[in-house]
Amino acid sequence: MSTGIPNNRLRLLERAKRALPALTPALESLLAGIVGLLVGALIMWIGGYDPWKAYVALFRGAYRDMYGFASSLARGTPLILTALTFSICMRAGMFNIGAEGQVYGGALAAVTVGYFALPSGLHIIMGLIFAMLAGAAWSLVPALLKLTRGVHEVISTIMFNWIARFFAFYLVANVLVDPIRAEKTISVPASARLPILVHGTDLSYGLFVSVFFALVIYFLLWHTTAGYELRAAGLNPTAAHYGGINSKRTVLLSFILGGLGAGLAGATIVMGLPPTYAVYSGLPQLANVGFDGMAVAMVGRNHPIGILIAALFFGGMNAGGRMMQIIAGVPLEMVRVVEGIIVVALAIPELVRLFRFFRNRWRSLWRREPA
Amino acid sequence: MKRILTLLAVVLLGISLVGMIGLGNGKVAVVLDVGGRGDLSFNDMGFKGTDQAAVDYGLEMVEVQSATAADYLPNVRNLARSGEYDLILAVGFLLTDAVSTVADEFPGQKFAIIDGFIPDKANVMSILFRENEASALVGALAGMVATHFGYRYVGCVLGIEIPVLYHFEAGYRFGIDWGVKKYNELGLAIGADVGLLYSYTGTFSDIALGKAATEAQLAQGAAAVYNVAGPLGIGDLEAITEYHTAKGTTFGPPYYIGVDANQDYLGNGLHGIASGMKRVDHGCYNAVKSVVEGTFHGGIVSLGLAVAEGGVSISKLQDLVDFFAFGVAAGAVDEVDFYTTLANWSANRANIPPEIWEAVDELEAGILDGSIVVPTADSVQEMQAVRAQYPLP
Amino acid sequence: MSWSYLWSILFISLHAMVPITLTAVGEIFGETAGLFNIGLEGILLVSAFTGALAAESGGAVIGLLTGMGTGAIIGFIFSVINTYWKGNQMITGIGINLFALGFVAFGLIVLGAPGFHAVPAESRLVPIRTPVGSISPIILVALALPFAAHWFLKRTRFGLILKATGESPEAADVAGIRVNLVRLLATTFGGVLAGLAGAYISVAWIGSVTKEISAGRGFISLATVVFSGLNPVLALLGGFIFGFFESLATWIRNLPGSKAVPWQFIAMTPYIVTLLVVAGVIGRVRFPKALGKPYIRE
Repeated sequence: MSTGIPNNRLRLLERAKRALPALTPALESLLAGIVGLLVGALIMWIGGYDPWKAYVALFRGAYRDMYGFASSLARGTPLILTALTFSICMRAGMFNIGAEGQVYGGALAAVTVGYFALPSGLHIIMGLIFAMLAGAAWSLVPALLKLTRGVHEVISTIMFNWIARFFAFYLVANVLVDPIRAEKTISVPASARLPILVHGTDLSYGLFVSVFFALVIYFLLWHTTAGYELRAAGLNPTAAHYGGINSKRTVLLSFILGGLGAGLAGATIVMGLPPTYAVYSGLPQLANVGFDGMAVAMVGRNHPIGILIAALFFGGMNAGGRMMQIIAGVPLEMVRVVEGIIVVALAIPELVRLFRFFRNRWRSLWRREPA
Repeated sequence: MKRILTLLAVVLLGISLVGMIGLGNGKVAVVLDVGGRGDLSFNDMGFKGTDQAAVDYGLEMVEVQSATAADYLPNVRNLARSGEYDLILAVGFLLTDAVSTVADEFPGQKFAIIDGFIPDKANVMSILFRENEASALVGALAGMVATHFGYRYVGCVLGIEIPVLYHFEAGYRFGIDWGVKKYNELGLAIGADVGLLYSYTGTFSDIALGKAATEAQLAQGAAAVYNVAGPLGIGDLEAITEYHTAKGTTFGPPYYIGVDANQDYLGNGLHGIASGMKRVDHGCYNAVKSVVEGTFHGGIVSLGLAVAEGGVSISKLQDLVDFFAFGVAAGAVDEVDFYTTLANWSANRANIPPEIWEAVDELEAGILDGSIVVPTADSVQEMQAVRAQYPLP
Repeated sequence: MSWSYLWSILFISLHAMVPITLTAVGEIFGETAGLFNIGLEGILLVSAFTGALAAESGGAVIGLLTGMGTGAIIGFIFSVINTYWKGNQMITGIGINLFALGFVAFGLIVLGAPGFHAVPAESRLVPIRTPVGSISPIILVALALPFAAHWFLKRTRFGLILKATGESPEAADVAGIRVNLVRLLATTFGGVLAGLAGAYISVAWIGSVTKEISAGRGFISLATVVFSGLNPVLALLGGFIFGFFESLATWIRNLPGSKAVPWQFIAMTPYIVTLLVVAGVIGRVRFPKALGKPYIRE
């Protein structure tokens, strides 16, 4: 060996080189994160705020201590579930925007356990089941409309979100209303609440519900025949059809699974988030959980494990954003700006290549300049 | 003499220094609900009052917004955990449970909440408004105006169905009924029946719905439209302005009735006849003041029409002046338009016979001395009872 | 109900139809060429904001042009990412929506009027007076444009080229069509129309911009595109049906005798009607084969 590098070291280098492509997603995400933070910093600076102070507050608030970490996880818990709703259908080749409405359904169904008296464990299970059933039922109609009448899921789910919103308004104001405080529904009784996991925070056992559901979905999609068929239908519908895969079953399965997840998301909010354990009129704690889930799903690349990581990130951004406005005085909206740019940057698969391209350009410019 | 003056100067200097040390370190935080700032009513008023108090008392102020209701508890808790704040002000009933929980966790921390009912905690001042009283006044005005100008209806556009809005609706209904009866008593003209057109739009953000609802009410003959949906009032006023433009009229009915803040100045004061004001800013200001002056106490503070309470009122000239400045500061209006706005507003008010204004004053006096009791409602059942009592078909 | 009522409802519906139809027609161009932009809601929001600011300093026309320019810029960024850079359209669109929500709210705070900014009366687009009510000139644009777009897409060579890039980019490429360029132009044009729709909301229709001024109309437009099956004239119809029933529902809720039915159920009707029309009449629609996929030359 003329280079003088020992053989085993060379082999190690080779292996590292081969491992690089596997690292690309992580590198891409990192780069996207940096792009987002930089553009966010620029906008903050133009708006007259101190970006450095803001980011320090944000990241400290999100991840520095147990309290921040727990807050981030709590904020991410329902997002995991709504992200799964979106990504299951995405994997099956369908574009399901309906998580939002299914969350409303799940949350209100979970509230109804207040009319029953049961021992604690059973009561919780009952709440979760009610929520899942409601979510799945609300999801089933668009699926059936698609199968029987050919109604595209983009239309039906958008319309169903609005219908769910007004129906929820009706239920909150007239049916499930708290007789003493008319601005909210009755509260989920103590025996049906998901216990708080970290004392003094709002992180509940709902996290385990979310993670467990994510793992179940992972197992179903990647380790069962039905899951394989579902993904095959998404990858290549024509081939799947000729391969004898029942597309009707795939549609039903993905929508029902998605509905179960979104319903659970509603449950983790009303059964797990202190202090109210009820749905307020105007649905302020449910609004946007479904839509934010879409962003989490895409950042998590529609993979259950990726979604877990993405939800921790989104939860952290939001939990940290609370501290950012307290400490740095930067409006909370900045969080969405940064999130948006990061998501856009993540959409570019060749971000790393572009980055290298521009870096080389820059360098060559630099080199030429002295001459 | 000179020595006395010097002594006085030293003493004054000393007092002011102590004062600065005593007050300069203070910090207050205001937590807003999901509507956030820019609702032109509730949250903006809470911000305005706290900000003013912070300036007057030399305090530092932190503003905390909430993206979703899931943020309320962590936001209030984060502030309380830091222990840096002399007062944490929560604006909106949605924060009730969060404040209540954190108040138990941090008994040494002082809280104040607007619209939230927390009667029994020593460290929570719970500031409630009797919105029904101000709504009764604008209702009476609207009812009389409709009768006077021969309109069949008065209108009201509301937001999401919540008990606070029931207060407004109940008071408004009572006021219309009272006003129509009063007008007939005065014998100014033969008054016909006046009905109420109203709708809950289900939103505090989709301004287009406010506009469409107002257009519908105007087309059926509403003499005035009361905005009880924060920013939707922009749409309401827009519809009224277009209605006038189409009819080629500048003044007169139909009118716009503002809410929470004084909104008479919007649109150069051409159509805003009055506002049912709810002085959230006064509530916040006084809460901060009470902490600075050491008079803070837990429990309910209920603010109504009385001048001393400064809670709710029907807008007057001074309010127009104050809030025009607020509008300028917020970039909603231009300073040069003040005199046109004032002239328009005055012309509009002068267009209404003085007897009507006197009757509004009479109702105000009656409410203040307790001889007239304005109904209110906190639940659907109570609201339905009020609707049954004053059906206004 | 008298005739004047009907006219009023019709005029409210036409105003409500405009942003949906314009945005949907623009998106039809993009989707015909194979790009699916879920970020319409964000484009509406940002261009309503920039349009209002520009109208304030330069008048209504400048405001509308600025809105279109804003839409063009966002549409251009979207299409560069999803053509030459082979990005993921879904992620880009979702990112645009997130960004817009934050950016407009943040911008309004920085301007000093958080959440709300009014367009002065003299900077508003002057409506056209008719004997039965006044209408915004943009309504005429929204009524005429779908027919022009239909003609363009179905009867011209460019329309064919657009269709080819959406149906079979490989074949188009072989035929010498610059697939990415065509897609870029189509989506940027879609952005321009969404930008016009956004500026219309703030400069012509409502006269103000708030942080949630678009109120879901971008998503309704997306549904309208699906409703139309990429036919601009059907998008006009879809936008009108939605606008009409939304206005009718609002109207009914403000009638004195309407309280027998809870208002929430009346508010649902435009969504239910749209669904029923699709389920009963429109049924299955077919989309370009390459919709949503970046074109990568083998």
